[in-house]
Amino acid sequence: MTEPILEVTGLTKEFPIGGGFGRRKETLVAVDDVSFSVLPGEVLGLVGESGSGKSTTARCVMRLIEPTRGTVRFAGEDLLALRGPRMRRVRRGMQMVFQDPYSSLDPRMKVEDIIAEGMVIHHVRSGAAARRARVRELLELVGLRPDHLTRRPANFSGGERQRIGIARALALDPRLLICDEPVASLDVSIQAQILNLFKDLQQELGLSIVYIAHDLATVRHLCDRIAVMRDGRIQEIGDRDQIYGAPRSEYTKELIEAVPIPDPIRQREKQERGAALRRAAKAGPPAEVPTPAVAKAARP
Amino acid sequence: MTGRDDMDAGPLLDIRDLTLSFRTGGGLVRALNGVNLTVGHRERVGIVGESGSGKSVTAQAVLGLVPAAEVTGEIRFAGENLLAVPQERMRQVRGKEIGYIFQDPLSALDPVRSIGDQISETLRIRGVRKAEAMRRSIDLLGRVGVKNAKERARDYPHQFSGGMRQRVMIAMALVAEPRLVIADEPTTALDVRVQAQVLDLLLELAEERGLSVLFITHDLGVLSGFAERVVVMYAGRAMEQCVTDELFYGSINPYTLGLLESLPRIDGEVPRRLTTIGGQPPSPAHPPSGCPFHPRCRYAIDVCAARVPTLLTPPNGSHPSACHRAQWLAEQPGVLR
Ligand SMILES: Nc1ncnc2c1ncn2[C@@H]1O[C@H](COP(=O)(O)OP(=O)(O)O)[C@@H](O)[C@H]1O
Ligand SMILES: Nc1ncnc2c1ncn2[C@@H]1O[C@H](COP(=O)(O)OP(=O)(O)O)[C@@H](O)[C@H]1O
Ligand code: SF4
Ligand SMILES: [Mg+2]
Ligand SMILES: [Mg+2]
Repeated sequence: MTEPILEVTGLTKEFPIGGGFGRRKETLVAVDDVSFSVLPGEVLGLVGESGSGKSTTARCVMRLIEPTRGTVRFAGEDLLALRGPRMRRVRRGMQMVFQDPYSSLDPRMKVEDIIAEGMVIHHVRSGAAARRARVRELLELVGLRPDHLTRRPANFSGGERQRIGIARALALDPRLLICDEPVASLDVSIQAQILNLFKDLQQELGLSIVYIAHDLATVRHLCDRIAVMRDGRIQEIGDRDQIYGAPRSEYTKELIEAVPIPDPIRQREKQERGAALRRAAKAGPPAEVPTPAVAKAARP
Repeated sequence: MTGRDDMDAGPLLDIRDLTLSFRTGGGLVRALNGVNLTVGHRERVGIVGESGSGKSVTAQAVLGLVPAAEVTGEIRFAGENLLAVPQERMRQVRGKEIGYIFQDPLSALDPVRSIGDQISETLRIRGVRKAEAMRRSIDLLGRVGVKNAKERARDYPHQFSGGMRQRVMIAMALVAEPRLVIADEPTTALDVRVQAQVLDLLLELAEERGLSVLFITHDLGVLSGFAERVVVMYAGRAMEQCVTDELFYGSINPYTLGLLESLPRIDGEVPRRLTTIGGQPPSPAHPPSGCPFHPRCRYAIDVCAARVPTLLTPPNGSHPSACHRAQWLAEQPGVLR
């Protein structure tokens, strides 16, 4: 058996909320006893509606915020037990890619410096020449041109900025990428380019990826296994064909059924089905067919 | 056959050769390059295209919301050219004859006034008595699926969830009984289950009230279930125009075909790679010569960089496409399938 690269157990994050004058302090359980693991080279999807706790899970795993409970094992180390430089060194093996390529890049920095920043901070590849060579390699890997190096983020389109964000994440040779809605703000033609890039990276570098999204179609395209989240909990976790072909939870079924498909004949059929179900629900069960409870009660 | 709609011939909305330029620091920037588009009586027409293609600007032009821009062409609504009418008349048209729903209801709603107040305002400023305006607003709130409508009418926008706020926006758009509703990405900000409910509601109301709808989206899935006819926009131009099924099963435009191919699907085979359109959409400040799509088009030939193709139905085709190779594409058996 291969050891998982990431193993999350019983992860819980509570946020204090409310607590103004005269109000009782309450807690919001944003992530509630979440467990999952990621194998080397595997892409795990974390899918759910907004507010379901996906980003909070990612931030706890990255230890950008402290979880309330639970353990995170990364590359065999108990990440939450580590402190100081050792924690930072282990954590370096995990890098994040964010949704908004606009706000996550410093507008004043040149692309070259954005990509190299992590190497400078962590003293990897000391020597400007070695760093520059690595930046060029990364640039090519994510599909940008050398003349992009001296430009600033404002001069780039959304897709290009996302490529810069990915190059920056790869600069420290991570074994795991955590991508939080990385294509949600991109147009479909650009989204397809970035999804292909993730697939290439996973295959060429043997990267593991946690791909967070609310969009079920991109998740299906990219992920080997998928965890479906709702209200901070994992509803079900399974491999792609099982989740999309034979979802176990009612909630997963609903999510998949609600995705509009770019095929008008089938989409109209689907809408008819939905409308018929709702009409039936509104009307209640037909009068001549007694429900079991009623049938029982009516018996003398 | 009765009713006001059947009185006049021709489409309800008829946009002809619409161009629109913004004055910016760097000079005039052309956002629309000659858009032609019609919406018939009781017809639902979708505009689809990537960001920056000019979808919202088209909608804003119809509503008279881009006064600072330079506009040429015609926007005929029930026979009247909206580009030629005074501001005063435009204010009447907006809200009363043409209702509108935008992507972000929070920015369209006043945070410090109750929902009921805001919905009924459209009626009150047109002379409906206060109590009557409120009664009709509450009825409509109930119809769009807000429970306890009478009580909820007193609530403020922040007391509604995203999906409920969009239902409130729909009520606001419909309360004055407009003939045309423009919906600009009305479900883009919503979660997928709520999106499905709001789309169903819009569809139901459109049919129930005999509305014409101009529906803007970037999502081909949303489009496929809602629109009867479709216009594909790219770089401020209409690239293809047809009934919805033809777009998905018989497109004769390389840009449309590229969009359809690049979509990840919810069922069927999972391809190892998605087919992509290389490059990115042109910036309106530096439009390419000829066909705006030519730098990214895999079917491009010499003429494409030299001449702008017009939106025409090729001899053997069934609908118009702005492409020099539309005829050739129409001759290919099932390019996509
Ligand atoms: N810093 C915070 N303080 C209080 N509540 C928060 C904080 N961050 C997130 N939440 C809440 O936690 C829940 C989960 O949020 P999030 O993880 O961002 O969900 P998702 O990424 O799935 O949309 C939401 O209800 C959100 O409002
Ligand atoms: N007020 C404005 N001033 C200058 N340019 C604008 C303005 N509004 C829109 N544009 C430009 O017009 C083009 C079309 O925009 P829009 O219609 O919003 O696109 P979309 O198809 O995404 O709705 C874009 O290039 C946009 O930057
Ligand atoms: S006109 Fe030429 S470049 Fe434009 S879409 Fe057609 S084939 Fe492609
Ligand atoms: Mg999130
Ligand atoms: Mg828009």
